[in-house]
Amino acid sequence: MKNVLQWNPPEGLQGVEVTYTVQYFIYGQKKWLNKSKCRNIHRTYCDLSAETADYEHQYYARVKAISETNCSKWAETGRFYPFLETQIGPPEVALTTDEKSISIDLTAPEKWKINPEDSSVSMQQIYSNLKYNVSVYNTKSNRMWSQCVTNHTLVLSWLEPNTLYCVHVQSFVPGPPRLAQPSEKQCVSTLEDQTSVFKVK
Amino acid sequence: DGVAILPAPQNLSVHSVNMKHLLTWSPVTVPGETVYYSVEYQGEYESLYTSHIWIPSGCCALTAGPECDVTDDITATVPYSLRVRAALGPQTSAWSTLKHPFNRNSTILTPPRMEVTRDGFHLVIELEDLGPHFEFLVAYWRREPGAKEHVKVVRSGGIPEHLETMEPGATYCVKVQTLVKAIGRHSDFSQAECVEVQGEALPL
Amino acid sequence: LRRCQVSVDTRHIEESFQEIKRAIQAKDIFQNVTILSTSEALQSIKPSDVCCMTKNVLAFYVDRVFKDHQEPNPRVLRKISSIANSFLYMQKALQRCQEQKRCHCRQEATNATKIIHDNYDQLEVRSAAVKSLGELDVFLAWIDKNNQETSTA
Repeated sequence: MKNVLQWNPPEGLQGVEVTYTVQYFIYGQKKWLNKSKCRNIHRTYCDLSAETADYEHQYYARVKAISETNCSKWAETGRFYPFLETQIGPPEVALTTDEKSISIDLTAPEKWKINPEDSSVSMQQIYSNLKYNVSVYNTKSNRMWSQCVTNHTLVLSWLEPNTLYCVHVQSFVPGPPRLAQPSEKQCVSTLEDQTSVFKVK
Repeated sequence: DGVAILPAPQNLSVHSVNMKHLLTWSPVTVPGETVYYSVEYQGEYESLYTSHIWIPSGCCALTAGPECDVTDDITATVPYSLRVRAALGPQTSAWSTLKHPFNRNSTILTPPRMEVTRDGFHLVIELEDLGPHFEFLVAYWRREPGAKEHVKVVRSGGIPEHLETMEPGATYCVKVQTLVKAIGRHSDFSQAECVEVQGEALPL
Repeated sequence: LRRCQVSVDTRHIEESFQEIKRAIQAKDIFQNVTILSTSEALQSIKPSDVCCMTKNVLAFYVDRVFKDHQEPNPRVLRKISSIANSFLYMQKALQRCQEQKRCHCRQEATNATKIIHDNYDQLEVRSAAVKSLGELDVFLAWIDKNNQETSTA
């Protein structure tokens, strides 16, 4: 739910100082509203997360370019619906291992907060059907398999000892197609086999 | 409109397997000429509320073959009327309409191809990707007297899916059926495939 | 008693809408007016009224919106047809539930439905139809949300 408006600078104005001004509109309300921190700015993006924090509403945003005495027309976005269009970030992934198992602990991504001190809201609270796709890659056998889970702990048992396994996890919400970034790949090795009991043929 | 001296296509029928719907008809032959065909459809909504509207098929607004994949046109589980006409230059035939409207809930469902493998003690299955409508119900059990059958729904094919952590010295068997929520039906189960895990487990 | 659940794969309908969202919403020039999004309409509905409200809004689209909208673009027309026929199927599914008396309509749902129709009547019919089509994502998200939370007694 971190919602950032981005745009490309107008063409053909290299070397000319250009500033930008941004406004936003809450669909169904009455008028365009100014974003004070994005008035006469030089950068080509504007964070509208606070203004679009109510994710069940829909919004428009627009930006115009100003140079010396000239002003461009407003360039306007399509209708933006955070609840359906926000990307779902990856969960936090913690791995712990022993000889023949890896424990994967997942923490749901958090909703963007206006103030860091504000209490956290988990994306799970917003999307009750949030699921995780856990991908596991055995570097020794060169095999990959995945598992879809809803709870936050997954124990991979009966693994091969002394073997490097790589894991990455992607959150997803069943429903309209939406972008989702997978977590960073993390690799851990199962421990040496203390008992050398099992021989897999 | 060209004068309709061109004969209309005949013997329209839909052959549907695993939610792939193929409309076929008998070709109209004009010696030395290539005859083209246009396909249009009407869902139940159109026939009830806007019966004058026929929608050009997404794939076969103008096609040479005596068949048309109407899978992307038939996108709801309601009866669809389909019609075809022949075209040769400016000449077009009369429309020929499918005798009975087609409903995709009559599609033939077959079990998917599956590959059952293992990675060490981990039972892994990869299923044929049959498209977005398909989920799979996977049943697996340990081959021993009185074994309990476990069931898992796999949301999509084409990706190796972890099924079970197996115990050494056991054999596990797997069978699968396709599930299509959109039409509320499933296929028969496939043949079972079994995987054995040697490994002598010494008492811990 | 198991409440009616809309057992339809709305994902395909959502995908159809995503493909025409830009085109349809771009035709809606009245950004200061909404049909479904007013808080009294859908957001205020309680779980016990979800089935009736779903039925009423489906009827709103099938009986009014899709008929009032004339679409020149064949690609968009195909997607609207796909959604319209899917709504017809959902209506039939809910119809069966209603016959088993599991889709009871209370005054709250009736009032909320009236608000939607009143909002629609405020606008010229073509504008109202294109605005309602542009708000299909609101209705689909509401169905998705309530389908998870609809309790199965």
